[in-house]
Amino acid sequence: MWIATVFLLGCSGGDPKPEVSEGDLDRQVMLTHWADNIIIPSYNTFKILLDDMIQKSEAFADAPDEDALIAFRHAWEAAYIGWQKVELFETGPADRYTIRNFFNIYPTSVAGILANINSGSANMKTPASYANQGFPALDYLLNGVADTDEGIVAYYSTEPDAEKRLAYIKRITDRMDELLTKVITEWPTYRAMFISKTGLDIGSPMGLTVNAYVLNYERYIRSGKFGIPSGAMTISGETKYPDKVEAFYKRDISKVLATVAHQASIDFFNGKDVVTGLEGPSLKSYLDGLDAKDTSTNTLLSTIINEQFNAANAKLDLLPDNLHDAVESDNESMLAVFAEMQKEVRLLKVDMTSAMSITITYTDNDGD
Amino acid sequence: MNEYFNKTVSAAPLAILRVVLGTLLLVGIIRFWMKGWIEELYIKPMYFFSFYGFEFVKPLGNYTYIIFLICAIACLLVMLGLFYRVAITTLFLSFTYIELMDKSTYLNHYYFISMVCLLMIFLPSHATFSLDAKRDKTLASKEVPRWSIDVIKLFVCMVYVFAGLAKINSDWLLHAQPLRIWLPAKNDLPVIGFLFNKVWVAFAFCWIGCLYDLCVPFLLLNRKTRLVGFSAVVIFHTFTAILFPIGMFPYIMIGISLIFFSSEFHEQLIGKLKSLFERDRSFESSEKIYVYPQAAKPFLMGFFAIFFFIQVILPMRYLLYPDELFWTEEGYRFSWRVMLMEKAGYTEFVVKDEEGNKINVNNKEFLIPLQEKMMATQPDMILQYAHMLRDHYLQHGIKEPQVYVDSYVALNGRLGKLLIDPTVNLSKETESFRHKNWILPSPHEISGL
Repeated sequence: MWIATVFLLGCSGGDPKPEVSEGDLDRQVMLTHWADNIIIPSYNTFKILLDDMIQKSEAFADAPDEDALIAFRHAWEAAYIGWQKVELFETGPADRYTIRNFFNIYPTSVAGILANINSGSANMKTPASYANQGFPALDYLLNGVADTDEGIVAYYSTEPDAEKRLAYIKRITDRMDELLTKVITEWPTYRAMFISKTGLDIGSPMGLTVNAYVLNYERYIRSGKFGIPSGAMTISGETKYPDKVEAFYKRDISKVLATVAHQASIDFFNGKDVVTGLEGPSLKSYLDGLDAKDTSTNTLLSTIINEQFNAANAKLDLLPDNLHDAVESDNESMLAVFAEMQKEVRLLKVDMTSAMSITITYTDNDGD
Repeated sequence: MNEYFNKTVSAAPLAILRVVLGTLLLVGIIRFWMKGWIEELYIKPMYFFSFYGFEFVKPLGNYTYIIFLICAIACLLVMLGLFYRVAITTLFLSFTYIELMDKSTYLNHYYFISMVCLLMIFLPSHATFSLDAKRDKTLASKEVPRWSIDVIKLFVCMVYVFAGLAKINSDWLLHAQPLRIWLPAKNDLPVIGFLFNKVWVAFAFCWIGCLYDLCVPFLLLNRKTRLVGFSAVVIFHTFTAILFPIGMFPYIMIGISLIFFSSEFHEQLIGKLKSLFERDRSFESSEKIYVYPQAAKPFLMGFFAIFFFIQVILPMRYLLYPDELFWTEEGYRFSWRVMLMEKAGYTEFVVKDEEGNKINVNNKEFLIPLQEKMMATQPDMILQYAHMLRDHYLQHGIKEPQVYVDSYVALNGRLGKLLIDPTVNLSKETESFRHKNWILPSPHEISGL
């Protein structure tokens, strides 16, 4: 009898909740939105920027002068910023080709670059070669080989090895073009599987996408852009690595790169259509559909996550354009960003995935 | 009392239990092997979480395969009823050894199987329908002491009842947690998937699951309700097999429930199985009644008394600990608490030396993902790992390494909170059965048993 009583309590006295919109829990709709309105168009936009950069690099190779250098550099900068909006999608084709390894591993290896210029035919596919190519290598080649633009132009025009150096730039851009083309070509085929396998088990498209998303936020935004340069990740705050900031040679775009990457994570969480700018089915709407919330305050988990994104953004805003200088002169401001992002990592990696019943790259084993 | 101990019943149910258990465990071990889990879980990791008091039980590198091979052969022999006592003892020892090698793989149903094997060492499961009985006509018996079947029934009933009692808590009954989290993940199943989005369905599952655990032993014990009970067993376990990654467990539970069926049922089953191999279709030609040697009786009485005493005490030992069981997990294992928690954690360890230098530990360098996942939510494993880090860095020349942890744990849909006091140097703390006062007080209140 008392069981029946408790049962009634359970049904009527349980926490009152708004009616859940079940459409929010339709994973196929969300996966389709991700593929068609976020991931594929983001790659297409990036492709335009990369193509433009390659075109400018060819123009520079044909006639290396200061104007061509500046045009190339601008196009590189735009493409590098564009990259930040696709780096988080390392699932499916991008994961198969581990595109990040060839596009954005930094700090770049100057010794490796110089050796590759010399050899002319170095292997660009091994893990050891990651730091010799991609945007960070171009950063050095466009901004770091001499103190002035005049000197840089000379490096590619009048100096003895000029031809070899230009040839290496071409090898880098060819490699980037080849990989991105593969990823873009394969996405339409992958899409069919992506939107039809709607499970959440290990290896499911949604599981992989969320894993890649959280990993990108934790390792490549929080640690890569802030934790490692500021020393938060390594030996106590005393040891800083200002030379490990992103775009170390260009310097003044490091904040922009970080901000854009961070915003891309926020927009993906909220399901922002990259063409229309309108929010669609997303991690946010899915969490809301699950009614995931902090039961002690009745705040939706998605709200908490977005507030934490804002808190990290607020600290990001305080940074100078040049994160190298920030590490050197006001490392506290870098550590502050890291601390806010650390809180976000917890929310995404533990609270969000736990609420959604998604496993973070754990071994496929029985549970009970 | 004495009268009860002199009662005898058909030997058939125990023989069927032997065959079912041997077969399913053999399949289970082959499955485990084929999936590469021996390599993945027992050879690849560089560190293992042993059980307190069983630190000597460790994987043996590549020889670990031999333990599994021994276990598989023992399963086969048990199934055939050949060299039964040696085989079932070997099965108990090898299976238990495997389960004790690493806490990260602890599952209640492995423990259940270990305990059933332990009981069966002392039961005459080979008295009929076995190669031993075929070879040795003095062994072949039609009947066995009634208590030898009842101990298995009693144990299965205890497991169900404790599992049911454990579900009487506010998270399960009043918040439908963690099913409310787990069911929507299956909302893409054909036909019924849409139901898993409904909160009332999660509540229904929770209440039915609890009532099922509490009632099913009695439904199975009573002849009139047995079929209802068994249908419930089949439906319930089929559902769990579809919904959750629990491997062989549903089939083992269904198989073992057969023990509750009548002698006639088992005798007919044996007759049918026999007809596959030979013409003799009677279940047992001998009219003998299996009797234990007189001298063994006091020992057996003592053994079963201690066994069941421990089985009652273990699930209740959590009462001796302060604070919330789901939070501290002190007294959680070996208590038939199944599927009660969605718990996820994130732990970051820092090792410091005397001069204030610190190293942020990358857990992936030391643990496989399963170990990291399990460690992240269980304080005793966090302590073991902290000691492993201490010893590792000591070897690498750091004097008196101090180990601190920043641990963030989410439980049953609540927002994550710190689990371990981040100011406590875990390298100095020791394992014991006492309450670990470096576990931060539970921020959550969960009422119930």
